[in-house]
Amino acid sequence: MSSEHQEDAGQGRSAKRLILAAGGGLALVALGALALESGWVPGWISGRETVENMTQSDYFQPPSDADIPDSPFGEAVKRGRDIFMNTSTNAGEYVGNGLACSNCHLDGGRQPLSAPMWAAWTRYPMYRKKNDQINTMEDRVMGCFTFSMNAQHSVAGGPPPHGSDVYRDLESYFYWLATGAPTNVPMDGNGFGKVAKTDLGYSPERGAGVFAANCAVCHGPDGHGQTDANGRIVFPPLWGPNSYNWGAGMARIDTAAAFVKNNMPLSQPGKLSDQDAWDVAAFVNSHERPKDARQGDMTIEETRQRFHDGDQIYYGQKVDGVLLGVGTPDPERPVGAPELPVGPTPLE
Amino acid sequence: MTRTSKQTASRNVKPGEDFEPWESHNRVPLLVIWIALALGVWGTALLFQDQSSYSVAQGERAADEVAAHDAPEGGAALFLANCSTCHQPNGVGVRLAVPPLQDSEFAKAGPEVVAQIMLRGIDGPIRVKGFTFDGHMPSFAAALDDDEVAQLASYVAGRFGGADATLGRDQVGELRDAHAGSGSWQGGAELAGLVPGLPTQPAMPAMAQAGPDPAISDLIFAGKGDVWSCASCHGGLGQGAESTPRLAGLSQGYIVKQLRDFRAGERQNEQMSFVAKELSDFEIEGVATYYAGLRVDSTARPALGGDLARGERIALQGDWSLGVPACFSCHGPSGFGVGADFPALAAQQPAYLASQLAAWAGGHRNNSPLGLMDRISRALPESDRRAVADYLASLPAVPAVEQKAMARIEGGGDEL
Repeated sequence: MSSEHQEDAGQGRSAKRLILAAGGGLALVALGALALESGWVPGWISGRETVENMTQSDYFQPPSDADIPDSPFGEAVKRGRDIFMNTSTNAGEYVGNGLACSNCHLDGGRQPLSAPMWAAWTRYPMYRKKNDQINTMEDRVMGCFTFSMNAQHSVAGGPPPHGSDVYRDLESYFYWLATGAPTNVPMDGNGFGKVAKTDLGYSPERGAGVFAANCAVCHGPDGHGQTDANGRIVFPPLWGPNSYNWGAGMARIDTAAAFVKNNMPLSQPGKLSDQDAWDVAAFVNSHERPKDARQGDMTIEETRQRFHDGDQIYYGQKVDGVLLGVGTPDPERPVGAPELPVGPTPLE
Repeated sequence: MTRTSKQTASRNVKPGEDFEPWESHNRVPLLVIWIALALGVWGTALLFQDQSSYSVAQGERAADEVAAHDAPEGGAALFLANCSTCHQPNGVGVRLAVPPLQDSEFAKAGPEVVAQIMLRGIDGPIRVKGFTFDGHMPSFAAALDDDEVAQLASYVAGRFGGADATLGRDQVGELRDAHAGSGSWQGGAELAGLVPGLPTQPAMPAMAQAGPDPAISDLIFAGKGDVWSCASCHGGLGQGAESTPRLAGLSQGYIVKQLRDFRAGERQNEQMSFVAKELSDFEIEGVATYYAGLRVDSTARPALGGDLARGERIALQGDWSLGVPACFSCHGPSGFGVGADFPALAAQQPAYLASQLAAWAGGHRNNSPLGLMDRISRALPESDRRAVADYLASLPAVPAVEQKAMARIEGGGDEL
């Protein structure tokens, strides 16, 4: 073999190596691209995974409305959904304010950490300290009507009676939402979550600033909500006569702080710091609202001791020198009751 | 003989005249085969994947079309698509806000009455089943054709009023001609002339009929100095076109804020910044009041090839897996707008809407309160932005709101 031969052989080998390396690289690129296209690559490499996917994919997935069966049961589910979304009309007799179930249970009771109904359904019957007894789902929903929907000011003057079709339909909807959910197992995303206590505690004064900056654009500077041209409520009232009463869970500052932190502002959950969430919840719940439906003939102090002792709530306390819990004035006639006739009466 | 020695030989020996180049038969290196195989697998898989998503999309589209056109009979489907966001799927309306259709005096009056209400819409107080409503119903004259109005009117009168009569397409055509240009029904008071035996209807409140200040009118229709008129781009009645927005029926507060933002450079648009810089506060408020009070039929039509069913879903329910709530949860249940910060979306020009969503997503528009629209627009893929813009363009135009109601809404709705 001449030296020229060896040189040529060397050149050939390096050329061969070059071809193989380039080819191998090409093959790797091709396979990598294939893997990416097929979604086999973890989201943190591909950068395709959104924040929402990472936080929500672990939660239970309830069925969508298109899956409601075409059957008598499906009809009950639809009626239940209609009550849930448009409570003041479809169960209007028992609603004494301007709220609907879906105001706090977002996305029709599906959204994790806004007390989704698929998680609630599988936790009842449950013992509740609130009334010191075993609560069925019907008992629990009765509580919602009594406090959150302020049934005391409704046409019926109280929640739907036990055995009412309102419960049948609502429970059908919840049961259907929980299709495939494990029973009696706490599920991720249930309730409103919790906000860690902060060193500063909470303060309505600081909360006023948070409210003006983040909440007033929708709920109005006076917190009374906003309507469309027809007077239909678009943004729910947070205090005042058309909001939840003093007995509602949302009147407690810890509950409201958790709801705010995990759900508000709509489309930007988690935007507020823990401190801001506590402060704004304290601000919202430092305003007067309809009286506690359980007060009856008791004084505010008696009601406070019996039902609110140890709670994070301003009920029965003075804020800025004003005693809270007195309640907004009772409406002249029940909310949603037919009006007196207009114009000339039949006698004229 | 190896390849290298062959090459060397050919280099040393001059080829003869009749030399033919040749190549000996060598084995293809294994690696090249692997590469080819890998590329082949990749290509096929990609082809197959595209094919499968294509057929899935085809299937979905076909299913949507079936759902939209065939599943329930015409009237029922039209009712769900056009009436149920306000009057509700079960026709009971919304307490103290939207009148019920079920057993209402107007549904019982028969399909001809229902059709005439649909063709003109309502602006004024109306008493239905013992309740007075502050009635603002859009006109469906531009959104629905004669056949659709006929089907819907027959369906509503039959289902909710128990009427036996049905209405034909030709009769709707005659009604349409008879009512062309009459504007909306002025509440129950005017409808009382159409429906005999109605319970007493509330009187129509006196409305300020004075036109805009002459200076404002000049500005709108003739311009001022170097500034061209509003109407030259937005149309004589503020109906807009393509990427120029519809202004009719937007709230006064919203128009004022946008013009001030253009003037201050908070919202970017070359033409509008130029115009707004020449406007005084008085002129801005006058122009805004004029357009807020206009009630004009929709001229917008879906034009972006968006998936209307998807757009409807985003508008009505949102897509919470993307962190996007329903458009209507802030902009009002029919896209009529809420207060000064949430403009009307119904009948807005789709090219304009899509361009604004893109501007927010790309960071070129920054004047949304709390950055709400920035975040939502970024979360929506481009196809969804087109879908929702097209869906909103298919809706009937927002009814103009008389000044009293407007003041109440912008004041925070203390009479909820």
